[in-house]
Amino acid sequence: MRLCWDWRLARIFDDSGEIVDESVWDAGRKPAAVATRLNLLSEGRMTHEARRLSERFPEAEITPIHELQSHMWPTISSDDAQLLQEATLVIAQAGIADASNNPDRRLEHLVRAGDEMRSSWTTLEARVIEWSGLFLPEIDLDGNRSRIPIALARAESLEGAATELETVASPTGINNLEWSALSQWARGVVEVEARLQSVESAIKEVATEHLPSTSALIGPLLAARMSTTAHGRGRLARLPSGTVQVLGAESSFFLHLRDGIPVPKHGHLFQHPWVSRSPRWIRGKVARMLSGKVSIAARLDAYGGSPWGDKEVREVEAKVADIRKRHPKPQR
Amino acid sequence: MDRLSNGVLVMRRGLWSKNAVPGVRVRKEKTRKIDGREWRNWSPRHSKLAAGILRTKQEPSSFLPSEGSQALYLGAGHGTTVSHLHDHLCGLDNEQGGSIIAVDISPRCMRDLVGLAKRRPGLLPVLADVRNHEGLRPWLNGRVDWLFQDVSQAGQVEIFLDAAKNFLAPGGVALLSLKSASERIVEGGANEHYDSAAKAMEIAGLDVLETIHLKGWEEQHALISSVAPREWPLSNDTRD
Repeated sequence: MRLCWDWRLARIFDDSGEIVDESVWDAGRKPAAVATRLNLLSEGRMTHEARRLSERFPEAEITPIHELQSHMWPTISSDDAQLLQEATLVIAQAGIADASNNPDRRLEHLVRAGDEMRSSWTTLEARVIEWSGLFLPEIDLDGNRSRIPIALARAESLEGAATELETVASPTGINNLEWSALSQWARGVVEVEARLQSVESAIKEVATEHLPSTSALIGPLLAARMSTTAHGRGRLARLPSGTVQVLGAESSFFLHLRDGIPVPKHGHLFQHPWVSRSPRWIRGKVARMLSGKVSIAARLDAYGGSPWGDKEVREVEAKVADIRKRHPKPQR
Repeated sequence: MDRLSNGVLVMRRGLWSKNAVPGVRVRKEKTRKIDGREWRNWSPRHSKLAAGILRTKQEPSSFLPSEGSQALYLGAGHGTTVSHLHDHLCGLDNEQGGSIIAVDISPRCMRDLVGLAKRRPGLLPVLADVRNHEGLRPWLNGRVDWLFQDVSQAGQVEIFLDAAKNFLAPGGVALLSLKSASERIVEGGANEHYDSAAKAMEIAGLDVLETIHLKGWEEQHALISSVAPREWPLSNDTRD
């Protein structure tokens, strides 16, 4: 005996393929109810009808309907087809909505948005500094870099900005339209900076939640970047440490494969001060050690280990210090 | 003018499908009136199935499922091909009574497919990994007579053969769109990929009819057409 079911009905067949018993779903046939049933079926579970028949015929062997001869199973009526489509759309839309819950996807947008914002900030900021330098001939541009856009954005006139920056305006002055262009440009820089900060604090929050150990180890911004480049936390956890080490250095890595230039020693990890603030000759060693630790941390995050805290991070830091101590001079 | 079915025809080397949603275009394709109905241009540049139909040496209509039947489309993408297939298989208000189960793993693509399905009864978009057969079963009423796969990921051939074993009816048509760039680079390049895919399909028991190179329309792609024999799936691997 065989038991078969789909969302509409369940049937018991005897060994010669005759229908012995049948139970048809007929109450409350609404799209949402069909959706619930389809979800049940996709987990391989039974509907009410199937369970009822299975209790009546406990010896019946469960058989998927695609193993039946096609004439043994009813075709779908047009009413059923309509109901099925509506239910399918309910499920598909729920699945699409689920994607917005996915922290990997959210981090991806945040990290990219942060990159775009930072690159436009760099251009806008460089322009306002050099531009204002024309009209503030005596100011130390690099020493006052962070103050210049704010002062220009706030001030009513070039002289006002000069006073706030404790310097003098160019004696030839600036005409009104040019001043308003410069000042609005400066306001744009201040605005973009604020936006950049809001993106970065969002990254920090999501990353600390989603990647607690990796964030504790290398900081949430870098953790988010590593995870995004690896296409998600799960994949970062599965990557070999050697790949983690050069994550973000794909272009030079493939140049290495193609043209035989030296292998990159670090990718995004270079952003971490343990790597970038180390002397040149040990950066590779630090990056290699750190990539192993990042792999472990990512695995803790992805597979639910107890997250790393200060203690573990201090141990890694001690290893960095040890590497620095063991290689005070470049190898000859 | 060469009529392939009620809803598909070839005219001056262009492929056209009879719009099941008159007045609505899917991706700004050209439309024209023929016999008082609106037809949409089915471009081989945007659809590998169209490219296969236009380039095959076999009977082109053999690439299409029979009207009103059940078709399984793995890797539906944004739904360009699916929409033309729907024109053919279902027609206006699904007068033919067909169904297309369009599977894709990307939520982004699913959005477009859902939008398409709202206007097209008979189209069933399913957000799932094509390897998750249990997850697809509830939508399939028995086996399908027509299976198409276009997923650009490594192991396409194995995925396709698994699906064919599980879902394809005896005598059914199985079309594989193979993206060579998704597989590991081998000596012999793309052709080697096509040959080994066709060989794997033969070994699995499918009758491979033709390997159509889509070069010019779609680089590094081929469409491999096959049919399942009357005895299908082979009894020794019905269950794994």
